[in-house]
Amino acid sequence: MKNLERIHLCPLILLLMTSPAFAHSENGVGIDFVGGFKHPISGLDHLVAMVAVGLWGAFLGVPAIWLLPVVFPLVMAFGGALGVLGVPLPGVETGIAISAIALGAMVAFAARPPLWIAAILVGAFAIFHGHAHGTELPVGADAIAYSMGFVIATGMLHVGGIAFGTLSRWPAGRIAVRAAGAIIALIGVGFLGHFI
Amino acid sequence: MNRALGGAVLAWLLVLTTSASAHSQIMGIGGVPGGVLHALLIPEHGMSLVALGVALGRQDHTARRFAALVFIVALTAGLVAIGLAVETSFATDALLAATAILGLLIAAAWLPPLLVLPLAAVAGVMFALDSPPEANSTDEAVRMLIGSGIGAMLALALLAEGSSHFRSAAVRIVTRVLGSWIAAIAILDLSLRIATRLATGSIS
Repeated sequence: MKNLERIHLCPLILLLMTSPAFAHSENGVGIDFVGGFKHPISGLDHLVAMVAVGLWGAFLGVPAIWLLPVVFPLVMAFGGALGVLGVPLPGVETGIAISAIALGAMVAFAARPPLWIAAILVGAFAIFHGHAHGTELPVGADAIAYSMGFVIATGMLHVGGIAFGTLSRWPAGRIAVRAAGAIIALIGVGFLGHFI
Repeated sequence: MNRALGGAVLAWLLVLTTSASAHSQIMGIGGVPGGVLHALLIPEHGMSLVALGVALGRQDHTARRFAALVFIVALTAGLVAIGLAVETSFATDALLAATAILGLLIAAAWLPPLLVLPLAAVAGVMFALDSPPEANSTDEAVRMLIGSGIGAMLALALLAEGSSHFRSAAVRIVTRVLGSWIAAIAILDLSLRIATRLATGSIS
């Protein structure tokens, strides 16, 4: 009988040794910053379009080199807010694929439209990217850490594009940058074919 | 046996409990230093101070001093209000909205004093109302509030005066990029907060 009571005590002892399980780390900052940082770079369609913004900015030179990467996150945040708040936007995935085609083609064909047209084009596409990201954002996440990771990653992708785009100062680099634009446009065509 | 089970469950529940805090506590630091850190280490607060500091740094000398004075008066009023146990559920949201507008203005490189002054006032009040002291006694709470005020004023003064000295073309571009990032983060943060509130049905 004593042995039986001891056996009954075992689950109680084990129960006392347990600790609570959390879906995220207790402070939430690490996992949510990383989650936000990973979000823009986890999809190839988003990634190439954001790199293309930096490439095109570098290709167009001052002031587009900094103006386009300023416009993109601002408008993307408004699109993200629409997505987070559940405001519908038709043709989001198609718009993202077209953004890769259009921005890649601009670089590939060395297009030099007026600055305001370039800014409007980049801003219009940023709404689609922001909305797609916003729709997928987890409600209840550590909002500030997630948003910081998200915006910093987007900025880093632009900087990567600008860094590569500065090669266009040299003839061989110019060919490489235009080839990169063509590859981005082809990736966009692939995504568009997938959605149609 | 039932008593043992009941006792074990109670002990287990007690082991699981942790204290509830508005923000994570800084262990071992209280009083004025705790207030300084409590106010500055909250990302929303730091971001709003950077945005306001950069915006003030782009003003001329007189306008910068006047806007800083407006911020200090508003901050003090807010700290007195929270010291008198005025509770608000919208302070973080209002602070983020002011930060987003400041970020947009910095990105646009258009910072008229008539817009910056009211934003400095809103930021000052909301910064204070979003800094409730986590203290066990009134004396400790007052010390923490004083610390929050001192920390915010010093940080803003350093940021505003510091950024006013850097006016080269490259710094202006970096500042505009920084402004766009601050605005984007504030807009996303605010919308996520609102969406979370709508999803959970919570008001605060």
